[in-house]
Amino acid sequence: MDHILSIVLFTPLLGLAVLLFIPSSNTAAIRWCANAAAFAGFAVSLPLVFAFDPALDFQFVERLSWIPSIGASYHLGIDGFSLLLVLLTTLLGFLAILSSWTAIREREKEYYAYFLVQQTGMLGVFMARDAFLFFLFWEMVLIPMYFIIAIWGGPRRSYAAIKFVIYTLVGSVLMFLGILALYWQHFSEFQTYSFAIEDLMRTQVPASMQWWVFWAFFLGFAVKVPMWPFHTWLPDAHVEAPTAGSVILASILLKMGTYGFLRFSLPLLPDSAKDPQVIQIVAGLSIIAIIYGALASLMQKDWKKLVAYSSVSHLGFCTLGIFALNPAGIAGSILQQINHGISTGMLFLVVGIVYERRHTREIAAFGGLYKIMPVFGIAFLIATLSSMGMPPLNGFIGEITILKGAYQTSLAWAVWCAIGIALGAAYLLWLYQRTMLGDVKETNSGLTDLNAREIAVFAPLVVLVFLIGLYPKPFFRVLERPTAHIVERVRPGYHAEHRLVNPLEAPRPTAGLER
Amino acid sequence: MLDSFIPSWAELLRFMPEIILSLVGSLLVMLEPVTGPKSKSMLGHVAIAGLIVALGATFVAHANPGAAFSSMIVVDGFATFFRVIVFTVGILTIFSSYQYLDREGSNRGEYYALILFSVVGQSVMVVANELIMIFIGLEISSIATYVLAGFLRDDKRNNESAIKYFLLGSFATGFLLYGIALIYGATGTTDLGEVRQAVLQSAEPPVLLLSVAAGLMFIGLGFKVSGAPFQMWTPDVYQGAPTPVTAFMSAGPKAAAFAIFLRIFVTVFESVGDRWEPLIWASALASMTIGNFAALQQKNFKRLLAYSSIAHAGYVLVALTARSEIGTASAMFYLAAYALMNMGAFAVIAHVAGKGETTVDVSDFAGLGAKQPVTAALLTIFMLSLIGVPLTGGFFGKFYIFKAALESKLLWLAILGLLNSAVAAYYYLRVLVVMYMEEPSARTENLEPMPMSLQAALWLPAAGVLFLGIFPSAVLEFASASARLLGQ
Amino acid sequence: MLDTVFFYLFTLLTLGGAILTVATRNAVHSALFLITSLLGVAGLYLLLHAEFLFAVQIIVYVGGIMVLFLFVIMLVNLDAAAAQRQFSRMWPVALGCVALVGLELFYFLGKGEPAFRIAAPPPVPEPTAGNTERIADVLFSQYLLPFEIASLLLLVAVIGSVVMAKKRI
Repeated sequence: MDHILSIVLFTPLLGLAVLLFIPSSNTAAIRWCANAAAFAGFAVSLPLVFAFDPALDFQFVERLSWIPSIGASYHLGIDGFSLLLVLLTTLLGFLAILSSWTAIREREKEYYAYFLVQQTGMLGVFMARDAFLFFLFWEMVLIPMYFIIAIWGGPRRSYAAIKFVIYTLVGSVLMFLGILALYWQHFSEFQTYSFAIEDLMRTQVPASMQWWVFWAFFLGFAVKVPMWPFHTWLPDAHVEAPTAGSVILASILLKMGTYGFLRFSLPLLPDSAKDPQVIQIVAGLSIIAIIYGALASLMQKDWKKLVAYSSVSHLGFCTLGIFALNPAGIAGSILQQINHGISTGMLFLVVGIVYERRHTREIAAFGGLYKIMPVFGIAFLIATLSSMGMPPLNGFIGEITILKGAYQTSLAWAVWCAIGIALGAAYLLWLYQRTMLGDVKETNSGLTDLNAREIAVFAPLVVLVFLIGLYPKPFFRVLERPTAHIVERVRPGYHAEHRLVNPLEAPRPTAGLER
Repeated sequence: MLDSFIPSWAELLRFMPEIILSLVGSLLVMLEPVTGPKSKSMLGHVAIAGLIVALGATFVAHANPGAAFSSMIVVDGFATFFRVIVFTVGILTIFSSYQYLDREGSNRGEYYALILFSVVGQSVMVVANELIMIFIGLEISSIATYVLAGFLRDDKRNNESAIKYFLLGSFATGFLLYGIALIYGATGTTDLGEVRQAVLQSAEPPVLLLSVAAGLMFIGLGFKVSGAPFQMWTPDVYQGAPTPVTAFMSAGPKAAAFAIFLRIFVTVFESVGDRWEPLIWASALASMTIGNFAALQQKNFKRLLAYSSIAHAGYVLVALTARSEIGTASAMFYLAAYALMNMGAFAVIAHVAGKGETTVDVSDFAGLGAKQPVTAALLTIFMLSLIGVPLTGGFFGKFYIFKAALESKLLWLAILGLLNSAVAAYYYLRVLVVMYMEEPSARTENLEPMPMSLQAALWLPAAGVLFLGIFPSAVLEFASASARLLGQ
Repeated sequence: MLDTVFFYLFTLLTLGGAILTVATRNAVHSALFLITSLLGVAGLYLLLHAEFLFAVQIIVYVGGIMVLFLFVIMLVNLDAAAAQRQFSRMWPVALGCVALVGLELFYFLGKGEPAFRIAAPPPVPEPTAGNTERIADVLFSQYLLPFEIASLLLLVAVIGSVVMAKKRI
């Protein structure tokens, strides 16, 4: 158990190593190998669930010196927040690969290779406790996704892929500048080089510097989230990417941005983060994203583009929750990130299944699919309801918690949130109505329902939708401490002030293990 | 007076790599008439063997550091580091030349001899501790390279390239020499250590004269490293020269020129640093911007890499602007990584170029990913490293440079440089797009399998780039230790 | 006094020769004026008591290189070139450069002595040892390495010119 994080992190790469030895003509073996590797990746991450102790902070910590001269180390560790994202990544990574079984028919070896590399990159982002390592994994995700869009994408793939890379690269370059600034500040204060996040947190950053470092980080993460007005790469990338690529992009890659806000922006630069001006700007952008994303979704004629714009709207909720800067907002935001990963992942899978059968995504080309594909219809319905926040499904829990957090900060925010939720219900239900209900079009009458493999792809997600919706307590339990850490860091004494129970001060059953 | 007429064994040992290479180079010229037309590649093997022996001698010399020949040269970590770079570049150049020369029907012994002599020149430059030595080394390296650029005499573009390179190179050397003369005038010596002492000890250093000297030397060296505003010769010369020679020019002479740039500016001109810093600041920014934005437009792969080499010179100039030990170390590291990735990229071009270099447009690489996946994968590594993607040497190079820039409070230069490197991603990625996503071109459709020699010219730098990207510690620490000694 | 007269004489020779080198149309004349200019420089060396350089300047430049130049010029038909306009359209650029250098010169002259402050001249040579002998000593002791390495430079130049010039090897 000492190296479980490394094991989880490198299982996909191990699968890749095996994959490389299979000749590219043997496509069946390649598919099996890739699926086995991805499943193994998921399986080895399951022990984390049982071994994780919600009463502790960072766990399963591993630390090896890597480049001592600059103070970079191979330093992994996860808290509750990371845990959820790691599990989401291993699960969706597997499902994405599984969903490509028949969809991808050319250059399969390369395709699966990129997915496995990307898997390691994403896991690394969520596990890294060293800013340098974090950046490294962050960039490592970029290149495989570029190739996935650029090689297996739609007609405008080349444009979409380049746009995706350039936007993200500019953002990440600025983020890196922010990391370097903190690193340098840490050095001038302590005279030792270190990229470790906990060391950087000890640094007293002067206010003026904090301000611009905050914006450097902000741009880097905002592009990734993506927040309005940096979102324009997202619809292009989503529409052109192959289904599995869209699933990973929406479910996990976007979370890297919000993860960055919670892991870097808030704890490292608390003074800037609570600056009312900053909050106003960020919240303003989030609200614009919520409303704009929803309105844009209403206008889309392309099924996939609609789902893409809905991501902009949903991620707006997440960023708004983060910058509510209270336990409810942050915990809700994290949970909503997980929910979005599940429900939007499902929605993209739904589009992918239709597209594989009909080779079009135009909403007007469909109608009455429920009659010929009932199982599919149910899966789509669950995804829709989950995405629009229908009780008792998972989306409801997330949205209501964010709403609570937003309300505690400002009534106006809550009102905008509510409008966003209503609009969300509108475009999703309308989509469902246009595609699934009504008369069956002639061209669609021959479509087949989901096969066993496709059901297997949806099943775990459906289970999660109900699990989070009906019994969210364990999820909130693991998020308690990370959330409280962030809130107390940004607003010291917040819990006491609002007469809340501070989970950090709760008696610990096993003392002394915290690292 | 004549006690020092006969150099001691230790002194010879410190100069052994250059001696070996000069001898092997002369040997090649003598062997050339007696080797048959089919066995010219043997001469290349001899040259490689010579370079490998010289590499070994470099490490022996490094074990006995110190000055030699009345302090004309000095063997320190800095010199060793750059010696290793230029020798490695020589080896890789020869590996990528066999097939190319055979194809062009010009496989001749002089080629290998000239490469060796050029390498000797660069090696003299990097060990030199004296301005006259630096000048002679630079001339040896340059003259050999001028000839190499026009080696295929019947090729018009070769001729254009050689003439342009020769004229502008000579012009630049003139400036450098003028700067040397002014330094001698100001201090009465050409020994770098003594110049430094003279400047530091005089109560009132002749700042004006030194600044003019620094400016003139900057012009001369700026030409050699193709830093803006002296970059305009680069695209034409790089495009016209035979591809392996282009690779050589973009790595070896450039690294050596930067080595003397560092040595002179860090030791001699340190005291007037605040005067030349704005100059180099502007040059660094201009090089990065001009290089990257011009590269966006290019269709010809060699020209694209020529502009990219201007941009990369800009990054190294950023490290120089930092004027710190870390800056020096980062420049060293970057040059090592850059030499490797550029050599690799050009080796792929040499493979695809075809007879007469008719197929060197980016579009000629279409479908390479499908036809020769290994070649394409290696080129991908080099392109990613040129972009500066993590786990490649290029990333750490950029990282150290911008770290150095930030530590020297060059905030704007770092920001603009980093944004530049994001822009650069576009044109490198375009190569990958073409290579992986387009239907095979007429050239890639009939691409011959890659010969062993060229494979060596690809795999070695690829391994080096990845090594520098994953375990940069050892190299960086060596560079830092050398830079610390250099600054003293 | 005599020194000064000679200094101005040689300077006039040097500069006048240089100007006429670029100003005359006939290539042979240009070469001859260049020789004049180089002879002027040789004279300046002599004034500085650098007898060796004086001799080298005359033997190598005037005797060797320039005679070769003249041969080449006479072998190649340059009549066509002579008929062309001698001054290219770039003369405004040249004018700008001259103005810049002139400005620089006047700036330094205005600043006076301190701007030109250079290192103290080396100790006056002992009357017994001639300049040539001292150069030999220095060349074969302190400057042994550059002296030897310069031979490599010449070798490279020779090989290079052969490679460039020979028809088929």
